[in-house]
Amino acid sequence: MGDTLFEKVWKSHVVVEQESGPSLIYIDRHLVHEVTSPQAFDGLRMNNRKVRRPDLTIATMDHNVPTNDRSLPILDQTSSIQIQTLEKNCNDFGITLFDINSPNQGIVHVIGPQLGITLPGSTIVCGDSHTSTHGAFGALALGIGTSDVEHVLASQTMWLEKPKTFEIKVDGKIKNPHAVTAKDIVLSIIKNIGTGGGTGTVIEYRGQGISDLSMEQRMTICNMSIEAGARAGMIAPDEKTFDYLRDRKYTPKNYESLVEIWRDSLKTDNDAKFEKEFTLDINDIAPQVSWGTNPGMTCDVTESIPTPDDFSNGDDNQKKGAQKALDYMDLKSGTPVEEIKIDRVFIGSCTNARLEDLIEASKVIKGQKISSHVKAMVVPGSQMVKKQAEEMGLDKIFIESNFEWREAGCSMCLGMNPDILSPGERCASTSNRNFEGRQGTGGRTHLVSPVMAAAAAIAGHFVDVRKLDLN
Amino acid sequence: MKGNIIKYARDNIDTDVIIPGQYLKIHDYAELATHAMEGLDPDFHSKVKEGDFILSGKNFGCGSSREHAPIALSHSGVKAVLALSFARIFYRNAVDGAFLLPIEIDQDAYDGISEGDEIEIDISQNEVKNNTKHQTYKMKPFSEIIGKIIEVGGLFKYKPDSD
Repeated sequence: MGDTLFEKVWKSHVVVEQESGPSLIYIDRHLVHEVTSPQAFDGLRMNNRKVRRPDLTIATMDHNVPTNDRSLPILDQTSSIQIQTLEKNCNDFGITLFDINSPNQGIVHVIGPQLGITLPGSTIVCGDSHTSTHGAFGALALGIGTSDVEHVLASQTMWLEKPKTFEIKVDGKIKNPHAVTAKDIVLSIIKNIGTGGGTGTVIEYRGQGISDLSMEQRMTICNMSIEAGARAGMIAPDEKTFDYLRDRKYTPKNYESLVEIWRDSLKTDNDAKFEKEFTLDINDIAPQVSWGTNPGMTCDVTESIPTPDDFSNGDDNQKKGAQKALDYMDLKSGTPVEEIKIDRVFIGSCTNARLEDLIEASKVIKGQKISSHVKAMVVPGSQMVKKQAEEMGLDKIFIESNFEWREAGCSMCLGMNPDILSPGERCASTSNRNFEGRQGTGGRTHLVSPVMAAAAAIAGHFVDVRKLDLN
Repeated sequence: MKGNIIKYARDNIDTDVIIPGQYLKIHDYAELATHAMEGLDPDFHSKVKEGDFILSGKNFGCGSSREHAPIALSHSGVKAVLALSFARIFYRNAVDGAFLLPIEIDQDAYDGISEGDEIEIDISQNEVKNNTKHQTYKMKPFSEIIGKIIEVGGLFKYKPDSD
């Protein structure tokens, strides 16, 4: 029996294998940010340890940086301390840092691929659950907590129980790829398999529906693997992958010879078996809108808010959860999704703040103003994305429509910087989590694609973007 | 190990309600603990006692990789979370720092244990005893290495060659 892509990457990184229990895995790249690293560096100091491979460790600041004028001081003192702490730690331990004023600063999962740090067949970790994003390049990319961050800093390895393999096959072809996007595919998957559907597995996304996607769209898919509970998500690299990584800042000098090796080796063998399987047909899928308080609580834009009974399939906890979610979201079962009015629009996050996301969203709003009762913002995923977008004039399109055009960072995805919802505010958001309070205490999040968010900003409520002329 | 139950009868308790994002800048664990579960139960801090256990449904701790989640619970006094299943990063973080015991229970235990019940966890027998209701349930055994990491008090005290 052959091996899956995951098994090949796993086998090539095992340092110590035990008969039962976890293996020690070598880590090729370690991405570091300001929130989950301070205690890890403190731990190194306390034990008089060094960073084993500072050359394989790269840091940036993204989670709590303000996204307004970068020439202004950071008003929140605790954020400011956390940012200064990262600067000191990188300085003390010899780690490259893209700080708040660097042209390479940005959300860690946006800059990794953009800089060519993310490579096919490599192992990547970061103290952030959305590290799964990098799997779009055929890397095994794992989100870890602070103890593991310290372990990797000290040893460049981590203990890991071998996850199970999960094939998610995406069949078919989307009829209008400007209106139905990678975000709608991944939300459809999570709606079907549930937020625990991928627990303990590494997902490999396969099929025509995946190979048709651009690299940026594939990143959106892998990014949300964690929302299905998976350890990681992967996509086998192809020519699109190799083209994307060519001539980036950190692309290896022997890149073409590496590509030759990757092209032959980094794919699942025909006779390999997955331990779990799921197939999604995307021929007729609709744009998705989440209505509840986890990403599995999602429906088509053409549907109405479900009843807890309809949602739960007889599971009592699911039913209770759905009722609590409806109460929190202040929604009534039976309300058509297109009638839900919104207060805020957030286009940003490691899920959907790359150049293509901004291009597609700008097409929806060009020449129009956002609804008078809506506040809307665009937060590019990195300073590089921002610069590229500005060179294309996208900033002007957004600003003329009354969107705010911000500096790069995690921003309103997670409510730990100045960009937050007020209690009760309802937001169409291109981010990844609609948990209670995620975007600010009492805030109500609906997860959507960038084009759906842009269309909602103009209309003031959700609309089916397939009805718009986007070509 | 004995403790009283605080029960949250729901699935998918996520890390954003266990410790909301705005508190991830706090480095003092005692202060962090004052905000534990604030997103779901603002009264948690006033009602939790040293040694308490949390009981919940499926996929406990889903979401972010923030180790602040098990730390905030641990420094609130919570010694174990009993759940039908756990999100893997939360589980791993709980074990890595030996912050609390993540105990996987079955539906009978979940249904049978109520708020306030006194529970005794016996890892050597893989049993959860309900002293209030005089019932005993099986818990899912820890894998060998996880058991050892918990026994020695966390990942950094664990030496693979020591046995």
